[in-house]
Amino acid sequence: MNNRLFIALLYIMPFPLILISLFLGPTSSIGYEDVLKCFSSANIDDTCQLTREIVLNVRLPRILLTFLIGAALTISGNSLQMLFKNPLVSPDILGLSAGAVFGAALSLAYGIIPLQLSAFVFGLLAVFMSYLISKTGNTVSTITLILSGIIITGIFTAFLSIVQFLTDPFKLQSIVHWTMGNLHNASWEKLQSSIIPISVSVTFLIIMRWRLNVIALGDEETKSVGLNPHRQKLLIIVLTTLATSSSVAVSGMVVMVGLVVPHMVRMLIGPDNIKAQPLMAVVGGSFLLIVDNLCRTVSQYEIPISIFTTLIGAPFFIYLIKKGKVIFREM
Amino acid sequence: MTNSTVIPLLGLKKGNRSIAVILAIIIIFITPISSHAKDTPIKVIDFRGKTLTFQKPVSRIVCLIESALSGLYMLKQHDRIVAIPKVVYDGEVFKHYAMLDNRIKNKTLPSPGNWDFVNIESVIAIKPDLVIIWASQKEAIKSLEDRGIPVYGVFLSSIDDVYKEITDFGILTNSQKRAKWLIDYTKGEVSKIQKRLVSMSMQDRKRVYFMWAQGTLETSCGGSTVDDLIRLSGAKNACNLPNTEHTTVNLETLIRWNPDIIVMWVNNKKSPQDVIKDPQLQSIKAIKTKQVYELPEVFLCDLWTLKFVYAVKLLAKWSYPDVFKDIDLIEQKEAMIKNLYGVSI
Repeated sequence: MNNRLFIALLYIMPFPLILISLFLGPTSSIGYEDVLKCFSSANIDDTCQLTREIVLNVRLPRILLTFLIGAALTISGNSLQMLFKNPLVSPDILGLSAGAVFGAALSLAYGIIPLQLSAFVFGLLAVFMSYLISKTGNTVSTITLILSGIIITGIFTAFLSIVQFLTDPFKLQSIVHWTMGNLHNASWEKLQSSIIPISVSVTFLIIMRWRLNVIALGDEETKSVGLNPHRQKLLIIVLTTLATSSSVAVSGMVVMVGLVVPHMVRMLIGPDNIKAQPLMAVVGGSFLLIVDNLCRTVSQYEIPISIFTTLIGAPFFIYLIKKGKVIFREM
Repeated sequence: MTNSTVIPLLGLKKGNRSIAVILAIIIIFITPISSHAKDTPIKVIDFRGKTLTFQKPVSRIVCLIESALSGLYMLKQHDRIVAIPKVVYDGEVFKHYAMLDNRIKNKTLPSPGNWDFVNIESVIAIKPDLVIIWASQKEAIKSLEDRGIPVYGVFLSSIDDVYKEITDFGILTNSQKRAKWLIDYTKGEVSKIQKRLVSMSMQDRKRVYFMWAQGTLETSCGGSTVDDLIRLSGAKNACNLPNTEHTTVNLETLIRWNPDIIVMWVNNKKSPQDVIKDPQLQSIKAIKTKQVYELPEVFLCDLWTLKFVYAVKLLAKWSYPDVFKDIDLIEQKEAMIKNLYGVSI
């Protein structure tokens, strides 16, 4: 297939996908015919009212939120993989997820701060602490930043264990389930609270796509084109942290997306970020939406999304490793 | 106008006057009462402290807690149940519920999730008047309430909470009489046990260690249904920490407590014999005297339902076999099921 046509198709893909997703759900009594009938007819009986309620207030916010989160996690994963020059990096490398889970656990166990806010604040705090620890004078070494992230992850995991140990089994169960992904509680309110930070950070990360190519080459190369590598790194960390923590706060932990989907995109169109970075958002959003459609439709009850992202993502990643297709630095 | 003129006008015979007057009085007094009852909203306060108000008894209940579902069946409110927790279809309890409700037997009653994972879309599609879910599920509760679905949040930490839950369900489903009967019956059964032990001093009471299925060292202390269970059976909880619904104790602490009896929650991984053979527990009195017992299947002695009374009887008999030697536990179990559910299971 013509490369341009293929890329164009990838960009168009979310529109039919979102439309199809509106027709999918666990409710067998509301099929695609009912949805079509209720949205094409002016007569609204009780059944149509219910159908409209489900499509507009349950499915639509969930679909949009899922797409947004898939886009945010994938673009953040790719940006951090470029920044750290490491294909195994995911958005939680700097302790963000551990901090967010601790924040969520604290809220679920004691309810002092609202869940979303608590997850967001502790996610940011974890990354900030990792950054502070790794900072020596005005420089931040990539290796020390990763090591700081590992240490901070360990500390917040220990805090989480304390909360889990002290709380009752019901709250403990809620905490464990939150770590499996929480998209089944999607609402317009959650979408409203996350759309601005995610859109702003994703937009800036797309704008910075050519800089990512330079940063991936190293500090000297970055300086040679007149950019301050430390400032650029800090900016990328701030933007990816904002995107990821806003996502985790509303969706719980959605694992593997930020690690695996960037590799999928690079497999499809190569490692050049000028082309790849915008597609990260499109493919990441579409991927998570397809996975969530599975979660919503395979049974009448909810299946946590991280189960599917792991079951799909892990074998794919193993395949990439075995086939030596972890494309990274060759641009 | 006098009565003597009115009655002939109505065409009544003189002998029927008194009946007419009595009927009129009854109508006068009953009419406002019934209309008042019709207009008065139904109000209950759930375990979150939230007041739920309904204009009429709820008729479509999505119940996502198995123990609460049991309560609704005890109240004989089968017809109001429109969805049940998934665990009813998957778990060992299925065979019992299948006998209570043909829709469960035929697997036609929807199950839009469990207490932990709720499919919001499926719940909305069922068009419930009320959803019953654990109060700790704040996210799911918010999602449902934001969409205008009333939620009754449950949190049970004592037997009194179980009574409150049944009372509230009675109010919500207009079955207060049945709720009162169930509570009176249960309290009566507990009282029969306690009467036999009233003269026993606290020193002579057996000390019981309760062992959850998750592990040998997992137990419940004060402020829990387990603590109530042990107390109502006339024994003492080996763990006397206040307000500790669930905790993991230190092995040394368990040995120091040296309980007279160990009672195990239903355990698929370990039997009382396994516990008796555990080399680390050999110094404990209950192990030396082989006083280790396991509660039977969850459905029969669920501590979050009125069936806890069967567990009370089991514990009482295990603790004081001489005092309760005349009690036939199989008979007691069958009678309890018959009384609580109105059928033999």
